[in-house]
Amino acid sequence: MSGPVAEPETSARRLAEEARDRARFEEEVLELSDQVYRVARRLVPTREEAEDLVQETYARAFRSWRSFTPGTNLRAWLMRILTNLNIDRGRREQRTPDVRPMEEGDYFLYNKLEEATPDEERIVERLSQDSVVQALAGVPHDFRDVIVLVDIGDFSYGEAAQILDIPIGTVMSRLHRGRRILKSRLAEVAVGEEA
Amino acid sequence: MAFESICEKCEEVLQPYLDRELDEAERREAQAHLDECGYCAKRYHFEEDLRRFVRQACDEPMRPELKAKLAALRTPLL
Repeated sequence: MSGPVAEPETSARRLAEEARDRARFEEEVLELSDQVYRVARRLVPTREEAEDLVQETYARAFRSWRSFTPGTNLRAWLMRILTNLNIDRGRREQRTPDVRPMEEGDYFLYNKLEEATPDEERIVERLSQDSVVQALAGVPHDFRDVIVLVDIGDFSYGEAAQILDIPIGTVMSRLHRGRRILKSRLAEVAVGEEA
Repeated sequence: MAFESICEKCEEVLQPYLDRELDEAERREAQAHLDECGYCAKRYHFEEDLRRFVRQACDEPMRPELKAKLAALRTPLL
């Protein structure tokens, strides 16, 4: 060997440090897996697809660990990989064709449920778990992505904007409209169950 | 209804209030309105319950098999 070579001791130390950093990074990413899965499960229709999506996300995250800046938001970084993969793979379902304009307002579901049970303290308990899962799955994906990130993933508006690469105002309006659609669907289910 | 037009403002801040996205002054203002408006307070509690319920209903834990597969993706230590 000729030419200048890094001192073997120094480069060995650097390699060892890097391996340690990488292992630490991977552990931190793994600790977030329950949260990542919870979001993934509601972004795609089936458990199998959610599992594939999470696995691909982790494979990519581990591969591109150098692109993460330590000290920044790891959870949002990971979720951005996941939502991008979800878009790339065309895994999103087609836009639901029968979305009617939902202009009933925020209190529509409440009013509907209240009509059905006038003096119920906790009106929301009239809804079944299945009806909620079903109603959420029926929300068109642009709106649902935001609801899932904020309500299920616990991301702030700012984080959701960063993850989906949309302005914060769009996060708010999609969230608002998405929740209206969700409530409207829930009202249909709740009132349907009643009949 | 006069009721509803008064509370349009409330409807506007209800969402960021529930999502804890208001600054301190806005939060106090929203809280003051909820303290005096029974109509909005009831609906606020409903929205809060609904959010909690959506979160609980949608929580499907990850299978241990997947967790093991993810752990296996780690870079082997030299």
